[in-house]
Amino acid sequence: MIRKIKYSILIVLAVMLGTSCEKWLDLKPEDGIIRQNFWKTKEDVKSSVIGCYSSLFATTQTLFLWGEIRGDMITSTLRSSAEQTEIMNGNILSSNSITNWRVIYKTINYCNTVIDFAPDVLKTDQTFKEEDLNGYLAEVRTLRALMYFNLLRSFGEVPLKLTATASDADLVQLEKSSQQDVYDQIVADLAFAEQYAPLTYGVREQDKGRITRYAVYALQADVYLWMENYTDCITACDKVINSNQFGLIAGRIPNEDNTDSIPNPQWFNTVFYVGNSNESIFEFQYDNQILNPFYNLVISSNRQFTGSTFVMDEMYTIDLLDDTKKDIRGDLASIRSSDMVIWKYAGANNTGSMRSQTTSYAHWFVYRYPDILLMKAEALAWTSQGHAALNIVKEIRDRANALAATERSPDPSSASEISDYIMEERAREFAFEGKRWYDILRNAKRNDYANLQYMIDIITKIAPADRQQSMINKYMDVRSHYLPINLYELQTDKNLVQNPFYQ
Amino acid sequence: MRRISIKKLLTGFILSLMLLGGFWGCIKENLIYNTTTDTNITAYLEKYPERFSELREILDLSSTATYLNAYGAYTLFAPTNDAIDGYLQEKGKSSVNDLSADECKNLIRFHLLSDTIRSKEFTDGKLPSLTMYGQYLVTGARNVDGVTKIVINRQANVIESDIKVGNGLIHVIDNVLRPAQYSVAQLVENDARYSILTQALKETGFYDTLNILPADNPDARRKFLTLLAETDSVLKVAGFNTYAALKAKYCNTGNPVSILDSLHKFVAYHIIFDAKYLADIATSQSQTTLAPLEVITSTITGTTILLNDITFLGVHEPGATLDRTKSDNSATNGVLNSVKQHFTLKIRKPVRVDFDVADQPEIRKLTAIFRKSTTTVGWTKAAGNPFVDIDWQDGAMLFGPTYSWSTTSTITRYFLYNDMLMMPTGGPNRVLWWEFRTPLIVRGKYKVWIGYRNQKQSGSSTNVNQISVDGVVLPRLLEFTVVRPTGTDAELEAQGWKQYSENSDQNVGARLLGIIDIKTTDRHIVRITNISGTQNNNNLDLIQFIPINDDQVYPRFKPDGTLIPKP
Repeated sequence: MIRKIKYSILIVLAVMLGTSCEKWLDLKPEDGIIRQNFWKTKEDVKSSVIGCYSSLFATTQTLFLWGEIRGDMITSTLRSSAEQTEIMNGNILSSNSITNWRVIYKTINYCNTVIDFAPDVLKTDQTFKEEDLNGYLAEVRTLRALMYFNLLRSFGEVPLKLTATASDADLVQLEKSSQQDVYDQIVADLAFAEQYAPLTYGVREQDKGRITRYAVYALQADVYLWMENYTDCITACDKVINSNQFGLIAGRIPNEDNTDSIPNPQWFNTVFYVGNSNESIFEFQYDNQILNPFYNLVISSNRQFTGSTFVMDEMYTIDLLDDTKKDIRGDLASIRSSDMVIWKYAGANNTGSMRSQTTSYAHWFVYRYPDILLMKAEALAWTSQGHAALNIVKEIRDRANALAATERSPDPSSASEISDYIMEERAREFAFEGKRWYDILRNAKRNDYANLQYMIDIITKIAPADRQQSMINKYMDVRSHYLPINLYELQTDKNLVQNPFYQ
Repeated sequence: MRRISIKKLLTGFILSLMLLGGFWGCIKENLIYNTTTDTNITAYLEKYPERFSELREILDLSSTATYLNAYGAYTLFAPTNDAIDGYLQEKGKSSVNDLSADECKNLIRFHLLSDTIRSKEFTDGKLPSLTMYGQYLVTGARNVDGVTKIVINRQANVIESDIKVGNGLIHVIDNVLRPAQYSVAQLVENDARYSILTQALKETGFYDTLNILPADNPDARRKFLTLLAETDSVLKVAGFNTYAALKAKYCNTGNPVSILDSLHKFVAYHIIFDAKYLADIATSQSQTTLAPLEVITSTITGTTILLNDITFLGVHEPGATLDRTKSDNSATNGVLNSVKQHFTLKIRKPVRVDFDVADQPEIRKLTAIFRKSTTTVGWTKAAGNPFVDIDWQDGAMLFGPTYSWSTTSTITRYFLYNDMLMMPTGGPNRVLWWEFRTPLIVRGKYKVWIGYRNQKQSGSSTNVNQISVDGVVLPRLLEFTVVRPTGTDAELEAQGWKQYSENSDQNVGARLLGIIDIKTTDRHIVRITNISGTQNNNNLDLIQFIPINDDQVYPRFKPDGTLIPKP
């Protein structure tokens, strides 16, 4: 009897165990989508591509720091972190978190994911056409190229990861690729994108916030210029210029009775506060849902950076006799001269009101039309077309009412003189847009560092008095121009070798 | 019978199990006797014999091994075996055992600091603390064939830095550091380029001053001194071909040893206190010299360090340049630096200084505002202090200075250039002190006047402040809420008041705060410290330093800056 009961209990238990577990044994998450269920329709592809763009928002702070902190246009405040001031003092260590490239590779991985899995959708969604696919691939491959271009300019040699890391099985220990390999990959991605990227999405917001073919050309021009391929740079610039889709927002407009001209009161608002202007080619479009990192960096009363005094004193200059003469890009456009606040991100208008924490959504400007013009000018200068180059610089200066004090008259036959002048103009035009350090480096490293002195002069100016000589000597070693690989990456990827200056 | 034996067996078995368990259990017990497992300096060197075996041996020979294995906070510059081999070879020794105990001790002392100094603290100049040997180490970066290395004492490259050990930090270097052998006096004497100066040093007695080892020097302030030396060629350019010519020009008493003699003063003016490498000179604005109460000002433009490059009464006086290639020579008791131009003391008579506090270079740059717009501009500390010459209390205070200008406002209409700085003082949300750096003031006695426009933020407001110049407190207090009394100029002056602007409005007046003895011709710090009362409306126009024997009332100012001479 007892045995019978025991058996029956056992049987009941066995049945319950065997049947009730169904849900537990199912490995698929109940509250999320897995890859096998995801890449099915064109909507899936589109949302993934948009996801790639969204990931860009996290990169802005890194791009701003990499592009500006080693240059001469921003300066530290009492609230700057020790890591920030150490880079400014020329003490760059691999333990410094600013050298961390994680956010950049995150975007690269999102792009790789689309590149790997989007083609499968052609099989499952009949309405998804080959040309749609290529359009999306053009977008993400351009974004990937943009990210690798930033890595190339900041670190020199970086590992090339071109496939998605979708599971733990995909984790690989990569070695660094040579600068040439990274460059070749960027060029290849852009060559693909040039064929398939759409010219327009039909909506202005999307034309400025997503990759169009013009953005591809702009990035191509930048990459060619960096690698000193001037003919291809000019070709890429001309494709944008000849499209007649872009123009410069006028710096002066006629006054009421059309007798004279006055500074355009809407200029700051159009180009920077609202963004997506006619001169914009590609921007990271922050809005009131997604705020940019600049509130803490440059706006709040505990801001970590302000513009350096050189920006007003030497770059835009001040007409002490006639205060109506102003470079439209200077006071209350790029910078507020009373306290050196970086106005491009902090300004709510051109009369002095500031953005608040909740309105800190100034866009991050990746390419604007003046960039195309000045990149072309630089390439022209180095292909013995000095006069044409200087005409472009004049066009940029005229629209901005640049002051006479900043006008130079370089010898039209001297590429390096014109090039130095273009650097000054670029500093005024793209102040705080994360381009300054790369401009300095590009100008210095050209022709096997023929113009290293250009960088040294800038370092001399910004170095603290008691470290000046050390800093100059460090920058004389051209290997120091690239950042060290972050300690964390070295520890996790044993195949990475630290950049030589930091070994 | 059987049952019992089984029970016994079972108990025996269990007991033996327990016993065994007890034995084994005890072995696992692992007591930790150390508070940390970090290695200390000596242990670290022991761990890497292929790199440091010789240095480790020197520690033994100098009996510092145990000392460096105990707790503390040290920085050791550790030369590798190759470095020490090279050093031994140079000395003609075959192994470290041939070094005497004293030699070993000195070697370790010169490589050791009782402070933890990371590589990020390395500058172009000396390390912040002395080595145990009693000399400073200098750091820097050197670029050879495009490769830059961090250099210690211009003698060794840093191979690996910031190795953290239990009792400090180790920086590995590729050469042994050698302390300076000569005093500043000997360095100058040994260098043929300084023959005229050497003779001047000897004749004025400063040779001995610069020849005492720090340990033997009874005067703590003069343990380390720095000579700003002029080479013979510099002196020749200035017209002194021989020592005799120098003596003929300067020696007015015939006795160069006398402190009253001008040659004595000339030489004293070239010696500054402390071991000052160029980086130290570049970072401080004025250097105290051995010439009593005479300072040398220093500025850096580009990479050039200039001495006494000043603007006095609107005239720029170009300064003397320090010669980088010939400078930063370490001596046992200081530093020898070289200047490219002849420089000397300037005799200046005390002259009146009208310090318009609102005329700051940072405000001048605001061209749309400065003396032009009634828009006021304010600054707070939290948002950053843009001023080089104005400072105020740190912290999240609500108010910093505010600049305002107006030709019509009742506050500023009679002010010099119609502008002012408003400086709120008083707790809890206002700052408790302000500091202004004045223009250059020549040594002498001055009466200090502060011109302001009284205002009460509310009917009961008071605001009492103490004024000090370079820390010397002036006897009279400044009350921003008090109206100037009436009376003739003489009556007012007797009470410590005056009308300094054109208009006789009683609200605008200057208060005499006392007499200050300005000891050095330099820029000085005026500090305003709140004593009681709190308000914003402290309207400050100017601070005057008028030599005591000059007219204190005239000239007055018109708002456009024109002077009104005494009628």
